[in-house]
Amino acid sequence: MTKSFITRNVQKSILPNGLTVVTKEMHDKPVVATMIWYRVGSRNEELGQTGKSHFLEHMLFKGTDRYKKGEIDMITHLNGGANNAFTWLDFTAYYFTFASDRWEAALEIEASRMRNTMFAEDEFASEKQVVEEELRIGLDGPWEALENEVWATAFRQHPYHWPTVGWLEDLEAASGADMKAYYDKWYHPRQATLVVAGDFDSVEVVQKIEELFGRIPPGPLASPPNIVEPSQRGEKRLVVRKQTPVERLLIGYHAPEVGHPDSYALKVAEAVLSTGKSSRLYQRLVERDQSVTKADATYHDHIDPSLFYFQAELKPGFKLADVEHAICEEIDRLKRGDIPAAETDKAKRQIEASLVLSSEEPLQQATLLGQYETIAFDEHVPADSRGYHYLDTLLERVAGVTVEEIAMAAQKYFTEDNRTVGYLIDGREPGEEERGCAA
Amino acid sequence: MQHSQKRTARPKLDVERVELPNGLVLLLSENHSIPSVSINAIVRAGSRFETDEKAGLASLIGALLDAGTTSRTSQQIAETIEAVGGQLGTFGDYQSSGAVVRLLSKDAFIGLDVTADLLMNSTFPDDKVHQEIDRRVAQIKARLDVPRTQASDVFNEIVFKGSPRHRPPIGYAETVKTLTRADVEGFYRRYYVPQNTMLAIAGDIDKNEVKGMVEATFGKWLCAAEFGTPEVPWAHRQNVPLERFVTASKEQVNVIIGHVGIERNNPDYYVLLVMDTILGSSPGFTSRIPRILRDEQGLAYSTFSNITSSAGQDPGRFVAYIGTAPENLDRAISGLRGEIMRIVEGGVTAEELEAAKLYLTGSFVFHFQRNSQIAEFLLEAEVYGLGFDYLEKYHELIRAISVEDVTRVTRKYIDPHNLTTVVVGPVDEHGKVIKVA
Repeated sequence: MTKSFITRNVQKSILPNGLTVVTKEMHDKPVVATMIWYRVGSRNEELGQTGKSHFLEHMLFKGTDRYKKGEIDMITHLNGGANNAFTWLDFTAYYFTFASDRWEAALEIEASRMRNTMFAEDEFASEKQVVEEELRIGLDGPWEALENEVWATAFRQHPYHWPTVGWLEDLEAASGADMKAYYDKWYHPRQATLVVAGDFDSVEVVQKIEELFGRIPPGPLASPPNIVEPSQRGEKRLVVRKQTPVERLLIGYHAPEVGHPDSYALKVAEAVLSTGKSSRLYQRLVERDQSVTKADATYHDHIDPSLFYFQAELKPGFKLADVEHAICEEIDRLKRGDIPAAETDKAKRQIEASLVLSSEEPLQQATLLGQYETIAFDEHVPADSRGYHYLDTLLERVAGVTVEEIAMAAQKYFTEDNRTVGYLIDGREPGEEERGCAA
Repeated sequence: MQHSQKRTARPKLDVERVELPNGLVLLLSENHSIPSVSINAIVRAGSRFETDEKAGLASLIGALLDAGTTSRTSQQIAETIEAVGGQLGTFGDYQSSGAVVRLLSKDAFIGLDVTADLLMNSTFPDDKVHQEIDRRVAQIKARLDVPRTQASDVFNEIVFKGSPRHRPPIGYAETVKTLTRADVEGFYRRYYVPQNTMLAIAGDIDKNEVKGMVEATFGKWLCAAEFGTPEVPWAHRQNVPLERFVTASKEQVNVIIGHVGIERNNPDYYVLLVMDTILGSSPGFTSRIPRILRDEQGLAYSTFSNITSSAGQDPGRFVAYIGTAPENLDRAISGLRGEIMRIVEGGVTAEELEAAKLYLTGSFVFHFQRNSQIAEFLLEAEVYGLGFDYLEKYHELIRAISVEDVTRVTRKYIDPHNLTTVVVGPVDEHGKVIKVA
């Protein structure tokens, strides 16, 4: 297997202050994507102070000693660029995209806001309202209330217990001083990866990065709270009541972290179950049983073990317990190794093609490079797959997955004791809490 | 503050337009940066050609396009595309319907073959029709779970009264339930014809080779002897203010304020693009509504306005949106109305205009990054007669706009005294905030 086209032409270096720099020069489109990734997300937070990583992301648009409030957006605007940021369990990432004749403002802004963001108290207060509104949008959405409960139930100790946006009560209690202290703990070169992808000259750019970032001190050694979620000993079940015309189901199984040897078989299982209309969940639940409007299986890469989860949105007149039972039957087929070779081949090709189809933009490629530099760093990740090299070995490992490995992974992770089952039911009617299938 | 005055980086597209003898228009653009291809096929028919009684028909057909053809079952269609890792989507929207296939370029022919099959030979098996109707009735219900969608649906019913645009393209539970296979077949036979079809293919292809493939597949499609499309009535802009409050048990109130907008071919489209950029549509907090209502007042996470993004063959809508906590409802409504009034009465500054022009010209290149975006642009250029020199012309059109143009056009198309206001959330029918259980 050749190297992934995404990693072709990638150069990586680490500055003396610990900043990881990844560049990918490509001249087919006159644009440049610049991203900076900090290895800090809700995983680094503590109970009572949840949501700080995400809130901090908002504050980084509020100005620095060099750029006054609104100026970061205005520079982006006048140059016809785009900027935004996102925070999740394991990371916070910021990006700019610019036409390639005017992109270097992005580097200057990131260098400034890494250490010199201002935390004006009045800015903090109004932004707190904005973040609270963002949280409310989630609560009004169809899935978030159920997702929050399932993750909070499945993870008793580990910080994946709370949602990235945090708990409303913690946000209300947050102060500007808390936020500044959190920033001072995590926003340093040694916690960051800078990725530049697009139409530029690598030699010049690396020199410019050294000039702008090289002077910043490495920052304190900090690591997230070392919390290991103990094995789940028995199924957990929960019900969320909410005014809704549509009942929903979410089943989460504890599943391994990025780079774990079993993770590749689970990725193939995810595609077999859920990618496209020929997938098993679609064929079973939408086509055959006709009990749902949609059903999915999802498994994301995270630094720590997370959840492999199933979601279904029911059609009226069907029962959550029956849909749960049908999903369990499909899982049982995997456990028995009842998977023809054509189906695993298809799943592998889907994984390979989707990597290509979702990488047409420089920003999409920068996102993959930055994400794996940030999450696939730990010693448990095999040396040849660490950092962005994860993308080089991914397809090879996926190609090597056997039917037996899928069956073994299904037997190991998709057990009754290892799962948390959540039902979302209409709050207006008292629902019956029915039991589903046995594992 | 810094920005470049250099000549703007411009996208370059190598475009070829071919009209097949049966009337099908083929648009090709070749680039080899990524080994992928996007095949976008549209027929120019959608829910704008339906009657109220048959609301949801075009959308239903769009969803059923891959439900079976004369030579393939639905599962075989899915397997054919997915076995090579491709992604197939079919749709029926307001003004167009069709299929989009994205796949690795080595598999382009498979994508073309299936796309042709769907547009030419769909059979709409009875069981699939019933199954899809059943599913859609559930999906229509689920729309009530997304308050912004609910608010948008209510708003459209009011402002587009008298035009097919008042309906959600997916239709209503009551109308969708009554649709039959004969309805589906009739619409498909009438509108899915080569002279009403456009095919755009962009990506890592050899144009000549693909032309041959298209001739081998779509070339066999016989053109309809007679083909015509119905007149579509346009909605009139209201001349009174209207308000509607819808009670829903939600954390936020979702507010939409606006009225009927413009069609894409309106000559003032570009001036309104500038107006949108200044009032409420530029990213970040550079435009007025997000800057003032979000960044300064902290009222919302999401707030914006625009008139151009919904402009199509028929007029779209001018909307200003905000989602906020119920206690902020009055401030939010008066904030949005105040900004609409201010731009109509006070116009814009030369500095705002200059910034908007720099943004619009500088960001143009980002519309052409992905093959699917390029294919969509080719179709848009064909539907609206933009010309493939649009990539150059666009910059001139934007640069020529003056402060006076913005003032004149804003006053012409936006009426701050006669707006529709829709609120969905914990409010009673008079707009008073209530506690909903």
